[in-house]
Amino acid sequence: MSMIDDPAITALTRFLDVNVFRSELVMSNMANIDTPGYRTRDINFSQEMQRAGGNLEYASFSPVARSVRGLMERPDGNNVSLERESLLLADTQLSFNLGVQLLRDEFKGILSAINSGSGGSGS
Amino acid sequence: MNLFGMLAVSGSALTAERQRAEVVTSNMANMETTRTPEGGPYRRQLVVFRSRRMPQFPALLAGFGNVSARGVRVDQVIADARPPLQRYQPGHPDADAKGYVSYPAVDPVEETADLLGAVRAYELNASAVQSTKTMIQQSLDLLR
Repeated sequence: MSMIDDPAITALTRFLDVNVFRSELVMSNMANIDTPGYRTRDINFSQEMQRAGGNLEYASFSPVARSVRGLMERPDGNNVSLERESLLLADTQLSFNLGVQLLRDEFKGILSAINSGSGGSGS
Repeated sequence: MNLFGMLAVSGSALTAERQRAEVVTSNMANMETTRTPEGGPYRRQLVVFRSRRMPQFPALLAGFGNVSARGVRVDQVIADARPPLQRYQPGHPDADAKGYVSYPAVDPVEETADLLGAVRAYELNASAVQSTKTMIQQSLDLLR
């Protein structure tokens, strides 16, 4: 098994992808906070993680954005909630940070394995 | 689906909200204007927002079939249909035969609330830009 194709790295890459996709939706919702008739859109995070984890080919990862139900609708047909989007923005940002830190850690492990192969003089 | 596309989405919102604030401030400035190039009193302006799909870089988008990002733009600026306010000022040069002057139907409270809304939405999207910048910076840190 190749170390670079580590399932942990693949899973973390998916995690970052899903997070970026979600924050893109959050940004779209925020941008359209005053657009009449706009409906809040989001993804099902765990479902997208499972789907993304199921197929390992990068190109075939195509997440699906859905309208969020159960939000209070304003008279102009817009149902974007400021609080929901702000919290989700913080959520995705911190999750993204977590993913990046874990990925760095994985790479650091690989790097130290490479360096220790050269008799310890490499590090 | 990319981090730089997110900047464009928030950027479109910043532009749209600023345009909205501009329209509101011009409404406020022309609250008492009775003469316009088109003739008659100033008409209160309103912006209409419309969501739009963001143009994406095809190369960056390779493999991602569904474009999810939706920005916003000002679709049109319309004039408020409300009739002008009539004020009795017989000495005014723009007074009609009965001595009434037509003033723009601009409600200062309404405009202030609208301006606050625009500013809040602008702030919200500015913080979204900050957040995107942090995420981009973090991904760049992976290279170090």
